[in-house]
Amino acid sequence: MAVVDRNGPLKDAWTRIGEDAPAPKGASVIVSLARLKNEHNSLFSAAGAVGVEVASDVDLADLEPFLARLGVIVVRMATMRDGRVFSTGRLLRERYGYAADLRAVGDFIPDQVLFLLRCGFTSFEVGEKFPVESLKQSVAAYSVWYQKATDRAKSVVELRGENSSRGAPKGSSS
Amino acid sequence: MYIYDTFDHTVTRERVAEFSQQVKRRLAGELSEDQFRPLRLMNGLYLQLHAYMLRVAIPYGTLSSVQVHKLADIARKYDRDYGHFTTRQNIQYNWIKLDQVPDLLAELASVEMHANQTSGNCIRNVTADQFAGVAGDEVEDPRIVSEIIRQWSTFHPEFSFLPRKFKIAVTGAPKDRAAIQFHDIGIQIVRNSAGEVGYAVYVGGGMGRTPVVAPLIRAFLPKAEILSYLEAILRVYNRYGRRDNIYKARIKILVRDLGPAEFTRQVEAEWPEIRPSGVNLPAAEEARIEAFFAPPAYEKIAEPVASFVEAKAKDRAFARWVSTNVHPHKIPGYGAVTISLKPIGGIPGDASSAQMHAIADLADTFSLSEVRVTHVQNLVLPNVKQSELFAVWQRLGEIGFADANIGLVTDIIACPGLDYCALANARSIPVAQQLSKRFADLDRQHNIGPLQIKISGCINACGHHHAGHIGILGVDKAGQEFYQITLGGAGDETASIGQLIGPGFAGEDIVGAVDKVVATYIAIRSSTSETFIDAYRRVGAAPFKESLYGRR
Ligand code: SF4
Repeated sequence: MAVVDRNGPLKDAWTRIGEDAPAPKGASVIVSLARLKNEHNSLFSAAGAVGVEVASDVDLADLEPFLARLGVIVVRMATMRDGRVFSTGRLLRERYGYAADLRAVGDFIPDQVLFLLRCGFTSFEVGEKFPVESLKQSVAAYSVWYQKATDRAKSVVELRGENSSRGAPKGSSS
Repeated sequence: MYIYDTFDHTVTRERVAEFSQQVKRRLAGELSEDQFRPLRLMNGLYLQLHAYMLRVAIPYGTLSSVQVHKLADIARKYDRDYGHFTTRQNIQYNWIKLDQVPDLLAELASVEMHANQTSGNCIRNVTADQFAGVAGDEVEDPRIVSEIIRQWSTFHPEFSFLPRKFKIAVTGAPKDRAAIQFHDIGIQIVRNSAGEVGYAVYVGGGMGRTPVVAPLIRAFLPKAEILSYLEAILRVYNRYGRRDNIYKARIKILVRDLGPAEFTRQVEAEWPEIRPSGVNLPAAEEARIEAFFAPPAYEKIAEPVASFVEAKAKDRAFARWVSTNVHPHKIPGYGAVTISLKPIGGIPGDASSAQMHAIADLADTFSLSEVRVTHVQNLVLPNVKQSELFAVWQRLGEIGFADANIGLVTDIIACPGLDYCALANARSIPVAQQLSKRFADLDRQHNIGPLQIKISGCINACGHHHAGHIGILGVDKAGQEFYQITLGGAGDETASIGQLIGPGFAGEDIVGAVDKVVATYIAIRSSTSETFIDAYRRVGAAPFKESLYGRR
């Protein structure tokens, strides 16, 4: 497993710990949602930083009490067809105001990373076979988008608005 | 028509570059077919029984003559000189070579066309009334909101990996020519009691193995709110639609399982959260898109048009063609011509490159350079002067597309079926061809009157058999092709689902069985003005069962 962001491989300080393993003092640990719910007091005081791994269909109300203190949320895509992650990402960012690292793990393909980035994901845990070299290229595939999303890239609609207020010619009608 | 600006061109160009790269990786063996599959399926490229099939999007069925010429060139250059117009107003090419797809897409892009989102679990090409902008009964031109939806849904960051495919249809008129209640979302443009224009929104219709007529979830949505409301619907579906079973993954199942009331409640709870996000279009952008669909410069023509009246009086065949194939136009002195792609014995929806070129030329000469595709797999010249209808009819005769059969028994919808489709149980096209020959006689067709036959080669129902007055469904019976008959379906504003009438028929018996159904209708109709569907709704299935299976 390696962790990458849009620019390539990252040095990753997070370690997953099992249900019963103690949290090493001062370490950055990723735990299950169940463990976070049960042990958040001891976890937040013992570990250096706490992250959680959740399924793509996680009930966001379960996470809400911890959002301000979490250092990473890892969202697992069940298969590459599991498009729930995109809604989960946007909701965490846009509705719940989650600001720290949002990481995708699972069976996604490089061509989906661009969509994940747009929906608020910032890092990606990938397997050996994942073509990290081609990631930069897939992420750069599009320079403009029709929609606004979490990444705050200007939408085509906004760019058009700027153009026309600068007096650029509009398309002709027919 | 909408014309691309630099941003539309950029998106389209970047998509061609991205997909060309993916094809290259596949051809070089860097991607296996398994890895390539989800990528090609985002671009309308299917691996069929014999070759790749490419489905090209025709947004809301609107084409310029330049685009039709290009589609013809592509048919000649990359296919076997044919294109196949589909029930979703798209065109399919059945014999495509993978290494040529990048060039083909670049050619499409040069005329502002693409194959984006014609397959895969995303928001598919939006469909609309083929008489958009010319029908007298329309509240507003449905192409405006359709183009808005096309742009919004293109590579949507959140909704490109839905549980299943997602289809949106729009009608601008109370008379529904887009079958909106058989779509995942059906939008009807309406006017409220205060005279404001807005949308009635239907959600959860569909065909397939669980046919459903979509319930209305909102009677009036203000125009400016459409995108935020669509996002709310899609978000509820994306989060809660089933993903464990592809047959239960369409939104119709979610709406059914939650119940329309609870589904609506969830959408209406999500909607206010999305509204402030800036997804709704600013008025200036809406106006910019609307301007592209401003009515063209029509001539002022007084009706009746003497030469037209005279031609009808003189030529009975022409008069008959006008009665079925010319739709009233909102501008006096004009008509909208439906070109029948259902010549007797032909393949429904097929056109050769020569025929497409000829139609594009007709559009330039007679129809302000516009062509439409209908969901019944025909083409439309939307703006023909009545004084020129006779000339158009004659030229259509020269290319074999002057059949006076629109809406009649030989205006058949058929899916590709076992001749092309890897999922098929049975052939559809040969059944359509045999039926067409059986009912070839035009006097008989006009005597029978409006009657829609729709044929699907399997339960996926791409041939819309559930919505056929007479539906035919291919099934596999111990390795044999068998055909079931459903009766009483309708895809218009009186939408209903056809009911299975009884045991299926073998391939050699299906045409005779349909003939019996038609003969039964002729015998029971209260007058020649009672249509098949009206008669069926009045008397029910009993007399049809009796003539097909005898008394039991
Ligand atoms: S209905 Fe079945 S046979 Fe016909 S095109 Fe669809 S999947 Fe293929």
